[in-house]
Amino acid sequence: MYSAEISRKNPGCFIFLLDQSASMEDPFGGSSDRRKADELATIINKLLHNLSIRCAKGDSIYDYFHVAVIGYGQDSVVKSAFDGAMTGKDLVPISELANNPLRIEDRVKKADDGNGGLVEQTVKFPLWFEAKHAGGTPMSSAFKMGADIVQRWVAEHPKGFPPIVINITDGESTDGDPVQEAKALCSLGSDDGAALVFNIHLSSAAGNPIELPASGDGLPDKFAKQLFDMSSNLTPFMISRAQELGMPADEGARGFVFNAQPVQVIQFLDIGTRPANLR
Amino acid sequence: MIDALNPVTPAPFSVEAFSCQKAGNARTEYEDAWAIRGSDSPTRCRVAVADGATESSFSALWAALLVESFVRGRSSGPDFFEGLDSIRRLWKRKIRGRPLPWYAAEKARRGAYAAFVGASLSAVNRGWRAVAIGDCCLLHVTGLPEQMELAHSFPLTRSEEFGSSPFLVGSLKKGDDDPRPHVRVSEGVLGPNDVLFFASDALAAWLLRRAEKGEPAWQAIGPMGIRTQEDFETVVAQAREDGTRNDDMTLLRLTRRASGERGAG
Repeated sequence: MYSAEISRKNPGCFIFLLDQSASMEDPFGGSSDRRKADELATIINKLLHNLSIRCAKGDSIYDYFHVAVIGYGQDSVVKSAFDGAMTGKDLVPISELANNPLRIEDRVKKADDGNGGLVEQTVKFPLWFEAKHAGGTPMSSAFKMGADIVQRWVAEHPKGFPPIVINITDGESTDGDPVQEAKALCSLGSDDGAALVFNIHLSSAAGNPIELPASGDGLPDKFAKQLFDMSSNLTPFMISRAQELGMPADEGARGFVFNAQPVQVIQFLDIGTRPANLR
Repeated sequence: MIDALNPVTPAPFSVEAFSCQKAGNARTEYEDAWAIRGSDSPTRCRVAVADGATESSFSALWAALLVESFVRGRSSGPDFFEGLDSIRRLWKRKIRGRPLPWYAAEKARRGAYAAFVGASLSAVNRGWRAVAIGDCCLLHVTGLPEQMELAHSFPLTRSEEFGSSPFLVGSLKKGDDDPRPHVRVSEGVLGPNDVLFFASDALAAWLLRRAEKGEPAWQAIGPMGIRTQEDFETVVAQAREDGTRNDDMTLLRLTRRASGERGAG
């Protein structure tokens, strides 16, 4: 299980669910100037940035993954969150996504100069999503839409690696209990295993980030506990990869993080030799 | 090819190479590399295999530059990795100035990575000295064809040591990424019936697994087992059938030439 090769012929599938509801306008993590919606936009842009780079090869990009991004919030509806050239699309190959950001910013980054010092480099940073916050939080409906996409994907890729659904939210669902919908989604899958659900919880509460816990004990509120309950166990490969990347994942770890930017989750799937010293 | 410096002395070693790209990939996407120099020389022979990492860009170029630099050089130990700067400059020069989309530029900025094993052999005492980083392996097999057995495996010795995240040698010099502490060195002597195999990781892992199970494949990849590219592809198909990960596969086979046999380059 969870051993199917991921390649251009047998691509993987990521489905992101973005909470774009009014409550995301509230401050993030006790901050006075940063909203949860800002944090969400940063996380999804970084995840897509890393995923695109991971699939880049020479002067091209390989479609190792197909990606859907579903937004839930504005007018309390659930729909594709893509803007610009990809408006209205659900699953797109990573090449289409990488080639169609809303805009590309130049950012200055400090990099190792190889001689013990740092040198400033200008790097391209694409943005696909802006901060959005309006309407209710139809999280259950978002999982239903996610399940529809999973069902379609596994019908077309019955032997492939099962889809991974990553929900980014403050956890305050307004259309009923999302746990049942998440469980229903996880009952779908391919011959290689059940679909996986991960949750990234962005809370207004201050507190230390929590990454990949194996137990719900000690989580700060009922929303965190609910999202933990909705989250799948990591596969053994994911646990060992998380450990290699310096994340605190033990046996039984679940795909749940609280007030953290888990950009490493993009590395949890194997697409070939990854140098241990590639950072 | 005849060695102009020693046109009449028999070359003591014979080296053959076989390679095959990942199933589903085009031949141009093969990211291993190998090089041989001096198989027609009466005094020395140098061989190397490198495996460019899937998760880095322009890694086939980096792997090719590493093996070529090794066989053209004189280093036979860790000092090879002291001279990486010039190989790295070459890699940078080859990719500089290409118009790249943002993701390709960012990936190239992170550098290319490769596993490497290289060996130099002396015709005087038939001794070999090998240097390696990562999971490309040298397998020293000894004995007559029916009784061939593994004498030495380097740098990895057991199939379970192969993972998907080895430490590899990078095309960019970084302060926290010095390959020198990770360099391994080994030595041996090639006996009359011995064979040195050099294999990239997936093939090496399968060969070790077969040996561990008591079903060694040495004869299958020996001089009587693989004679043509088609024979090699049959072995690769068998390895994949056995559950070996889908990867580029490369095999170099080095034997002592029977006396009187001439080198063919």
